[in-house]
Order: sequence, then C-alpha cells, then structure tokens
Amino acid sequence: MGLDLAEVLVMELQPIHAPPTSFAKKYLFTIDHKVIGKQFIWGGFLFLVLGGGLAMLIRWQWAFPHEPVPVVGDMFLGATQGRIGPATYNSIFTNHGLIMIFWAITPLLIGAFGNFCIPLMIGARDMAFPLLNMLSFWVWALSGAMVLASFVVPLGAAGAGWTTYPPLSTNVGMPGAGQSLMVGAIFVTGVASIMGGLNYVVTVIRYRAPGMTWMRMPLTVWGLWLTSILNVLFVPVLGSAGLLLLLDRMTGTQFFIAGSTGMGANAGDPILFQHLFWIFGHPEVYILILPAWGMVCDFVAFFARKPAYWYKGSVYAMTAVSVLSAVVYGHHMFTTGISPLLGTSFMLFTLIISVPAEMLFLNWLHTMWKGSIRLTSPMSYTLGVIWVFGLGGLTGLHLGTTSTDLYLHDTMWVVGHFHLTMASASFLVVFAGIAFWFPKMFGRMLPEKFGHFHCWSTVALLTLVFVGQIISGYAGHHRRLFDPYQYTFLEHLLPLNRWVSYFAFALAAIQGVYAVVFIRSVFAGKKAEQNPWEVGTLEWTECTSPPAVHNFDTIPVIVRGPHEYAHPEVRRVLGRDWISQTEPLGDSEQATGGAAAAGG
Amino acid sequence: MSSLSNPPAGDDPNWVAPVVQYDSPAKRQETTAWVGMVIFLASWGMMFGALFFMYGGIRARATEWPPEGLPAIPLFWPTINTIVIALSSVTLQWALISIRKGHRRKLTHGLVSTFLLGLAFVALQWKVWIDLNEIGLMHTSGFYGSVFYGMTWIHAAHVAVGIIALGWLCIQAVRLFYSAPRHLSIRLWTMYWHFVGIVWGIMFLTVYIL
Amino acid sequence: MKFKHFSHKLTSLLVWIWTIAITGVAWADVPKEKGWGMPTDASLDGHRVDWLINITNVFITILFVIMVIWIVWAVLAHNEKHTADYDHGDSKHHVMVALSISAFIFLVVDGNLFYNAAKDLTQAFWNFEKAEAAANHVKIEVQGRQWIWEARYEGPDGKFNTQDDAVTTNDIRVPVNAPIIIQVTSPDVIHAISFPNFRVKVDAVPGSVNQLWLQATKTGQFEISCGQHCGQAHYKMAGRLTVMEEADFKEWVAQKSRDSKQIYDENAQAANWGWTWRKY
Repeated sequence: MGLDLAEVLVMELQPIHAPPTSFAKKYLFTIDHKVIGKQFIWGGFLFLVLGGGLAMLIRWQWAFPHEPVPVVGDMFLGATQGRIGPATYNSIFTNHGLIMIFWAITPLLIGAFGNFCIPLMIGARDMAFPLLNMLSFWVWALSGAMVLASFVVPLGAAGAGWTTYPPLSTNVGMPGAGQSLMVGAIFVTGVASIMGGLNYVVTVIRYRAPGMTWMRMPLTVWGLWLTSILNVLFVPVLGSAGLLLLLDRMTGTQFFIAGSTGMGANAGDPILFQHLFWIFGHPEVYILILPAWGMVCDFVAFFARKPAYWYKGSVYAMTAVSVLSAVVYGHHMFTTGISPLLGTSFMLFTLIISVPAEMLFLNWLHTMWKGSIRLTSPMSYTLGVIWVFGLGGLTGLHLGTTSTDLYLHDTMWVVGHFHLTMASASFLVVFAGIAFWFPKMFGRMLPEKFGHFHCWSTVALLTLVFVGQIISGYAGHHRRLFDPYQYTFLEHLLPLNRWVSYFAFALAAIQGVYAVVFIRSVFAGKKAEQNPWEVGTLEWTECTSPPAVHNFDTIPVIVRGPHEYAHPEVRRVLGRDWISQTEPLGDSEQATGGAAAAGG
Repeated sequence: MSSLSNPPAGDDPNWVAPVVQYDSPAKRQETTAWVGMVIFLASWGMMFGALFFMYGGIRARATEWPPEGLPAIPLFWPTINTIVIALSSVTLQWALISIRKGHRRKLTHGLVSTFLLGLAFVALQWKVWIDLNEIGLMHTSGFYGSVFYGMTWIHAAHVAVGIIALGWLCIQAVRLFYSAPRHLSIRLWTMYWHFVGIVWGIMFLTVYIL
Repeated sequence: MKFKHFSHKLTSLLVWIWTIAITGVAWADVPKEKGWGMPTDASLDGHRVDWLINITNVFITILFVIMVIWIVWAVLAHNEKHTADYDHGDSKHHVMVALSISAFIFLVVDGNLFYNAAKDLTQAFWNFEKAEAAANHVKIEVQGRQWIWEARYEGPDGKFNTQDDAVTTNDIRVPVNAPIIIQVTSPDVIHAISFPNFRVKVDAVPGSVNQLWLQATKTGQFEISCGQHCGQAHYKMAGRLTVMEEADFKEWVAQKSRDSKQIYDENAQAANWGWTWRKY
C-alpha cells in the first residue's frame, strides 16, 4: 500500500490537466511544450528560407558581379535595374548573419528541440513554467516582426555587419530606423532566449523523474542544459551592449562614439562594444553547438548500439567548454590593438578550449568502434556533423593563434571556419534531430532513402562551398566586400568564387526539395510506431508517437542510464540488444548492471 | 510501463524513498519558483555586471575624472537616496517576516511603506537629474555624462518595475490574499527588491563616490 | 617683380607635372596573383606566418584523414552484422588512453602553434624596439577614413603635424630593407590597415592610435586593403604601397614635404589630423 501511495504522491506533483479544446489554446497560445517546440520549427524554417535567400544573393554578386539578379532582381531591386548596389549588399550580408543566428539556428536547435525533448527525456509532464514558455515564443515572434519591419523603413535595413560594431552602427555610420529596429530586435530576441533558457535550466534541476539522476540523463539534455546556462548568463551582456548602442543612437549618449564626432578625452570607446559583444559572442557559438554535441553523443550510441563511451568524460568536456567559453573571447579582437599580454593569454585559452572538443570527438570515435552500426538517416546526418565539425574545428586553430590571425583576420578563412562549425554542423544536427524525432513529433516517418540522399548531398555541397571559402581566405580574400575584384590581388579568384556559388545554388535547391518532402511527410507520411529506432530513452518507451498532451500516464521511475545497449544479460533475458531506462530486468541485473549504470 | 512494485534487491543508492523525501506540491512549486528567481537575478546581475565592466574599462584608463570642464556629481541627495532605498529593503524584509508569522496587517504596513519609499527614491532621483542638468551635466556630455545617466536610467527603470509590482502586492495584501503558508509572490519580489537595492549600493560606490 | 611672380608659377606648374608623373608611375602595376596560394611575400617576417599556417595545415590534414579512415572502417567493419561490445569506456585504463591521446595532440599541434606564435610575436611582429633601434627606420602616421588612406611623414623637422609633413592620399611609399613603423587611427568608423603581401594588419579605431611595423625585402607595387567593414565603399578602400630604393625614397619624401609645405594652412583643422608620435 505504501508503494502505491508513493506512486500516487509522485503523480500529484505534476497533475494531469484537461487538454485544451479551442484552436487558439491548442495551436496559437499553447502552453504545451511539444506544440511550442513545433511553433519554433515552423518559425525557424521560415527565417531559414529568408536567411538562405540572402546568402544566395551574396553568392550571386561574387559570381556575377554587377549583373542583374534573375527573378528576385525585378521584384526587389527595381531602382537599380535588378542589380545589387553597395549599400544593399551591406544590408544583405548583415541580415543574413543576424537572421541565421538568432532567427534560424537558435529557434530550431534550442527552441524546437529544447522544448520538445527536455520534459520528455527527463520524465516531466511539461516545463517548470509553461506560461513563460508560451511567452518566450511570442516574444521571439515579436523580435522577428521587428526584423521584417527593418527591411521596409526609409534609409534601408541594418548594414553594419552582424557584429554591429560602432561607430559604424551608430548614427555616425548608419543613420535611420532600420539599424535601430534591428538592434532592438536583437534585444527582444535576447529576452526571449533568456526566458526560454531559464525555463530549461529550472526544469532540468527540479523536474527530473524519480531515479533520473544527473548522470542518467541523455547527453542531449546535458547539451541543452549547459546551453541554457550560457544563454541565461551571457545573453544579458549582449542585451546591455545593445541597450547602450540604442541609447547612443536615440538619445545622444556617447558610450561607443569617438573620433571627430567624439568629445576628446571624454569620448566613448568603440572597442568597449567589442568587449561586451564578444563576451557574449564567444559563449554564443558554444550555445549554438552544445545541443549539437549532446545529440551527436546520444545518436552515435543509439545507432552504434553501444553505450556512449565515457559518458562522464563527455559531460566534463561539455562543462569545461562552457566554463572556458567566456575567457577566450579576445581572439576576436587580436587586431584591435590589445596589449601583448592579453593577446598571448587569449591565444593560450583558445588553444586549451580545443582539448575538451577533441575529447568529445574521441568519445564519438570510440563509441562507434566495435559497435553494431545501423546506418539509419539520423546516423548518416550524425556522421555528416562529425565530418563538417572536424573540418571546421581544425581550421579554427589558425584563427586562435595570434600571429597567423594577423593575416587571416577578416578573410574568408574566418567565414569558412564558422560556417563549417556553426552553420553546417548546427544545421546538420537540426536535420538529424528532425529525422530522429519526426516520428515522435508528428506520428509519421520521414522517407529513409530521401534522408540519406539529402544528407550526403548536403554534406558534400557544404564541404565544397565552405572549404572553397577557406581556400579563398588563404589566398587573402577579404570578407564583406561588395566587389572583391576591385583589389588587384584578388582578381584571379573570380573562377573560384563562381564555382563556390554554383555549389551554393545547388545546395539551396536541394534544401528546397527537403522542404517539400518535410511538409508532405508532416501531413501524409507513413504512420510511425511507438519506438521505430529501438532506443531506450523515455520519450520512445513511455510515450505514444506522438505523445499524449500530458506525456506520461504515470511518471516513470528510472533505474538506469540511457545508453544500455549490447548488455549480455539483457540479450540473454530479453532477447534484444537494448533495454529502456525504466524496465526492470530482475535481481541479477539490478545489483550489477544497475550499479554500473548508476556510475556510468 | 514503469512500476514501483519492483524495488531493487541490492543497495541502489539512487533509489528514491518517496515518502521520506516527499515535499508537498505547494512547497515543491515554491522551491522551483525560488530557483527560477535566483537564476533570473543572476541573469540580470550579468547585465548590470556588463554595465559596470563598461564603466570600469574607460574609468581605469582615464587620466582625469571627472573630465575637464564637467562637474563632479554632488553627493548630498544621492546619499539621502541611498538611505531611502536601504530603508525600503528593511521595511520589505520586515513585511516578509511578518507574513511568515501570519501577521497580515503588518504585511500591509510593510508593503505600503516600501511602496512609498520606492516612489520617494524615484522622485529624488528625478530631482538629482534635473539639478545636474542645470549645472551642465547632461546625458550628451560625452562618456562621463552617458555613464552616469545611462546607468541611473536603467537602474531607475528596474526600480519602477519593482514599484509597480509592489503596488499590486499592496492591493492583494489589502484583499487579505496572503497568509503564512501562502505568500510566494512576496518572497520573490522581496528578492528582486533587495537585488535592485544592492545594485544601487554598488553604483553609488563606484559612480558617485569613487 | 613680374618675372619673379611668373617663374614662381612656372615652378609650381613644373612641380605639379613632376608629382603627377611620379604618382602615375606609382600607379603602374601591382603584380597580379595566380592560383590559390597566399599573395606574393614581400616582407622580412611574413614567411613565419606562411610556415606556421602551412605546417598546421599538414597536421590537421593528418588528423582529419585518420578520423575519416576510422569512421569509414567502423561503419563498414562494425556494421549491423557485427556484435557490439558492451563497454562504457569509463575504466581507468580507457580514461587514461583518451586523456593521453588528447594531451599528445594538444602538445604537438597546439603546442607548436603557441610556441611559434609567441616567438614570432615577440621577435618580430610586436618587437617595436627592434624596429625603432634601426637607424634607417621610417615612421608614418596614417589616417584611414571613409574611404581613403591618408599618410603623413614627419618631414625634416622630425615632428609630426607640422608645416613640413609630407602628406599623401592612398599612396604610401617606403624604402626597401628598412623597418617601417605605422601608427594609425580614424576619425569616423573603425577601419583596418591591411598589407596582404606583408601578412599584417591592425585596426584604425576612432579615439585611439594603434601601431604595426613591417619591412619590405623587395621593391615594387603592393596593395593596401581595408580589413574592417566601414560602410558603403569599404570594398574599394584600396591604397598603394610602393617600395623604393632608399635614395629614391629620400628624394620623393623631400619633394612631397616641399609640396605639402606650400599648401599648408594652420587653420585647416581637418587637414592637420596628425598627432605627436605615440610611445609604445
């Protein structure tokens, strides 16, 4: 009786509410984390299309400088006969960067997967603060509206680069409402990020099901949780930089203005902005990759049918990266005139931070080795992530080293590097996550064969495009140039740029096909079973596909970690190579395997 | 499906003993909200931290402060204001302690006092701004003016949010909404109010005095 | 009186023709690059950067190839037919192996990078003492502004921002085999003065003065590029660096100094943008 009472008591902590009935409460102003996650998917994809379109314009200009842009040129660039002009070009690359980071990757990787996966994977019915969760989506949507508004105001959209350095981003360089709206939008989306991050942090701390110790959580949750801690701590720094910049733009203060419009000894300091921006900016790139690392750790284990190699090591590595992320930021500022002491220290820390990342790679490689690899589409995407992140991460070494950075700073090497690590890896992980959780989200399957085709063609094209950029950077090709061929020393790179553009156009075309397949599968894909991947985490074993509104009929009790594959005892007793986190096995396994699982 | 009717035979240290460790749902939720508030304030602390970092960055390199031609910030009224806001933290803490013991009337008195002191703070701050404008220190007075006005504006905005919340809490308190076991909002807003007070303290020290 | 006046004008005219001719020669040709390699190295210390980038490329290629072979082998040999090993990889042995591999890679690759970068920075790129100690070093003040490079030489009086400073636009000339120390700032937005053929750049920040130095090992024309997004015409903020023989340089700078002296106006604030040479 006491045990059943306990069951009842545990349930009472998260009571089951009646599901919503009205359209507004079900799909618009929903507090259900699973629906909010899907809202972020749709919203994120929308901005991904916009950001990607802007990238295609950049590639067009570099392949066919000053030629009218087909189709789009007539629609949007009528004043210049379909050609892109210098000021427009500046707005294009500025908005491409900002939109991709804050309105595409963040909602897709963190908003969608964080919301959908965290409560399910830890055994909770919803987030700690469901109402705050709903608000975080709508605040994010408001920031998206501000971005769109910035395109249609007089004097044009923001154009100071995604890094928004003053004085160029103040009224000195970029007067007009467009830049102000964008800085405001960045502030508002920061607020949404903090709201979401706070929710994730508290939910993981307080709502793990009984038996779900920290070291039994899927590494996906670890990645998302560490990301949320970084979000909560460092987005406010960006917020303060943005706020001060807005004050400079709108009230006449002079935090970041110096030079002829400054006030001599009482002038502001533009470099201060860079400090604030990069104290946020470097943790931001880890914010965008930690969920990816967590998911790769899990997916490699799930599909190699082997426990995640040295689980604790992966946790330590991700934590070390999070802690170190704020002390490496100066490597973005090597050429700003910082002291040699700072220059050398930042170089040291930047090289050190590559070690935990290395360890993660080794863990992945060891997990795969002597496994029983099932090459499903999520696994294909995962291998693609390892490929692009390996390439990209290694090219970062040259940038973290001060002397080589003196040459490579502001070249396409930097652009290629962060597009491989941030854009390619994060987006491939989004695709991996979608391929993996699609059955759980929508109750249907994405076509497997298409997944493989999409994965490998995307990986190949991403590699060609961004390694091409790295090569051009090696040759000295600066970034953010309306017409690179004005420089004699860059003229000969036109053919290289043209090929990179062709590959980029092909890449975009394939994503277009993916979009069609994705939408079709949402509504008419093959119906999915409860656990098509034979994976032992809670969302697969304890919930239907898709889950009920309340997730779990009874809150599960967890008895082991998420990667118990290939256990010989399990094979003997249950006749399969996996066991869920909640299944009892019998006394023998509990005494030995349970302890091993608790420790490992 | 999960079942608790299969306890482990061995000594699994991770086995949860539900009845012994059980918290009531209300207490559990309170602790969750408290954790949320701590993280929220840490976040906000980072924002103010960034502002102090920004100020410190230039101040450390400045050869003279205030810069030539600009007045030093007078200390009389700001010191009064510091006392005002410190007092308001005392009254609010007293209000919290009172409701913990179930004294509803003392809660209302405490809340109203804090509310009035908060209003006084903002009013006095406004007076200081006007006074400074008259002696030539404006927000357009270069970095020196920007730092002073920028930081005090942002701080004042946070105080204003607190005052509005306090107003709402006063209304609820008068309606006898709070009791000894149920006063989570008071607890959380007290944390917020102390935070705003501490930020003022640091600001007073670094921007006004030093 | 009339003749003096006339000859004064004639001299000015001849001076201008000569200046334009010299400038024209300067704008002859920056060598065109070919292939995908780094731009022609015309510098004393640039080879250090080239070597470090290239050796690191070798290291990372080796690491990447090992990783790819490992993955492909695993996917092919340890496929679904292979029985997986139940191994959490958290035994002491496994942990030590993982940490050792990481440490080894770190020490070889990162260690090499750190050691060589620190050496190159202290011996060369940030070694301003060495540059200033050379008797034939040249100091140049540069103002990068939207969207040109203005340069200033101290002239015979040895002081900057005086009447005899030689001032040029988009045209920096230097003697070969001599340290050139450049201080740079901007009055409007952040720019960056970048010398691709010398592998160095530094930001031109409003409100502060930054410094770099370089030394050319061959004569010729080289491009100066702007390495920080600075607005609409950032893409054509190109300057010309001409490396000349010492004698030619001295002659040129003396002539430029005379030209600038003629048009000097002590009330033209914007034109007198120079500063007292900063000590670093």
